[in-house]
Amino acid sequence: MSLKSLTKPWQPMSYGFLDASAKRELRRKMLKSVAVPGCQMPYASREVPMARGWGTGGLQVSLTLLNPQLRVKVIDQGADDSVNAASIRRFLALVSGAPVTLDTLGADLIQSRHRIPEEIMREDQILVLQVPNPEPLRSVQPNMSIARQMHADADYGRMWLQLYEQIVRSGRVMQGAGYPSLVNGRHVMTPSPIPRWDVPKLNMAKHLTILSAGREKRIFAVPPYTRVKPLVFDDVPYRVEDHGGLTCSRSTAKGFFMNEIPQVDGSSTYEVSDSSYGVKTIQKRDGDAVQFGETWYNDGEMTQ
Amino acid sequence: MAYVATRGGERAIEQSERLFRSDMGRIDQARVAELRHALPYLVDRVMGEASLYDEDLAALALAQTGGELYEVVLLLRAWRTTQPRLSVAAPIQQKDLFTHRRISAAFKDIPGGQVLGPTLDYSHRILATDVLTGTPFVPNNVVPSARAAPAHQPSVSAWQAENELLDLPPVEPVQGNDIPDLTREPLLFPSKRAHTLQSLARAETGGVLALGYSAMRGYGQAHPTVNELRLAEAEVMVKHPRGTSFSAGRVKVSQAEVVSKKGEKLELGFAATLGWNEVKCIAAATLDLNTKGAAKGTATEEEFFLYHTEGVESSGFCIHFKLPHYVTFQSSLDAMRDAKAKKAAKCMEPAQ
Repeated sequence: MSLKSLTKPWQPMSYGFLDASAKRELRRKMLKSVAVPGCQMPYASREVPMARGWGTGGLQVSLTLLNPQLRVKVIDQGADDSVNAASIRRFLALVSGAPVTLDTLGADLIQSRHRIPEEIMREDQILVLQVPNPEPLRSVQPNMSIARQMHADADYGRMWLQLYEQIVRSGRVMQGAGYPSLVNGRHVMTPSPIPRWDVPKLNMAKHLTILSAGREKRIFAVPPYTRVKPLVFDDVPYRVEDHGGLTCSRSTAKGFFMNEIPQVDGSSTYEVSDSSYGVKTIQKRDGDAVQFGETWYNDGEMTQ
Repeated sequence: MAYVATRGGERAIEQSERLFRSDMGRIDQARVAELRHALPYLVDRVMGEASLYDEDLAALALAQTGGELYEVVLLLRAWRTTQPRLSVAAPIQQKDLFTHRRISAAFKDIPGGQVLGPTLDYSHRILATDVLTGTPFVPNNVVPSARAAPAHQPSVSAWQAENELLDLPPVEPVQGNDIPDLTREPLLFPSKRAHTLQSLARAETGGVLALGYSAMRGYGQAHPTVNELRLAEAEVMVKHPRGTSFSAGRVKVSQAEVVSKKGEKLELGFAATLGWNEVKCIAAATLDLNTKGAAKGTATEEEFFLYHTEGVESSGFCIHFKLPHYVTFQSSLDAMRDAKAKKAAKCMEPAQ
């Protein structure tokens, strides 16, 4: 027996880029974050061949979960063909040999920046959300060690106060995307900067959602069938973006989250933000055979 | 919206990268060797920030990125993180360093002497414009000193500790693989001493300087005196599986001790990094000196300066703002418009 027979030949890169020790840490931290839903777990967060803030957290999770059979979809702001989504998809396929897809229904793993697809995700699918800032308390407490203590004490008073102050000042909660939400009745998390439209999709969802912030080195999760409740006062109901009545000018899909496209004459047109859904709608109109999944929203109203 | 072209993403990416690389042209061994030879201090700086000591890889990274420093460091870090940890070198004391330059501002003379070594400190900063018109610049020969300075010198703080002017930090008993490694575990606060020093060692030079300078100007509690600044080479001693210790080579290191009067004793700040980078070490040691008792949220608080001098993270986050943000923007617009409409509706109501 020689040393050579016991080892694999040297390669410039491990399978899935990350080395085994990095993947092991990621797997452990993912399990931990599933065990305590919504609680931020610190992890080493290795450098990857992409700049921090460009989805390196989500990328590390995807790289750990990938195998040659797993079909991957990557979205940025709802679009599969956004430059960074294309770049991440190309990299994932390159280092893992995993097949890729643009169709939500066909994907096993979806890495997304700031959107949850409009079609309902299944139990066998995993959603990986890229997170720029994992700390919902950052706006009221920029110091991370203090914020960590506040989570431990479930001390969310300042968070509530901030929402209350917004109502007093502006007549409504002014939080745009990334609406702070209580997970499993215990931890307040940021759902990542997904629009308010997408937050109800996380509540009692069938799929596993892993949220990973590479730059800030924190990972947290929403396991399947877990309560996710946006922080709201009893007398001021939660409000999603007023997009329920809008129609996509390109695909005529109606009642989904839209991108507003400013026009020269000062008006706006809209196009459906979930680009894959928009494309499928156009294909159907053109007479192609396409399969649609159930959607979380019907006619602009959340179904569950 | 133009850069979310329908189905055009992948092609656009490829062409934009080609455009960038076409400016640099062919990269070959000769270019890498020339960069390594011509720019040792730049090579040192990026090796320090990347926490990867390999002059060839550093020069290659410089060549590949056209000297975009943040890209250089990211390239090296992404390489480094996938490499296995084969062994942990033996710890090295200041007195064991093969010293090229060692100066102290605290004393006129120090045991072992002031050794200037290589420096531009006293040079006149005049551009050698003749080079551009065809007259090469040829450096004058160095005349060796009649009496060579000793290669190994004790630290100035060791002498101060002997004279009860200063308390040296306690020696940590952990060894080898048990030494906390910032590259394999997250930085948490209050941070482990090893993590703090490792963070500073690989911090971005400009960032450390900016925050260190703010402390020097008066936003810190302590005024630094450079106790010792040292440029040296460290022997990397590793153990063969058979048990014999051997040197795997030398790496260039720099380190700074700064002190400040605190009551009847001196307080010590320390920083060290791979490669020769004096500004970074003095600024980092100044931050270290100022941490004790620093108020939360100030530039001299450990959490504040360690997070914000991490070059790969700060530069990455800065450039990520180039990514489309229209979904988040749309979400804010919706709230703004609704609040505005509510206000307008209120104004229309008749006064009571």
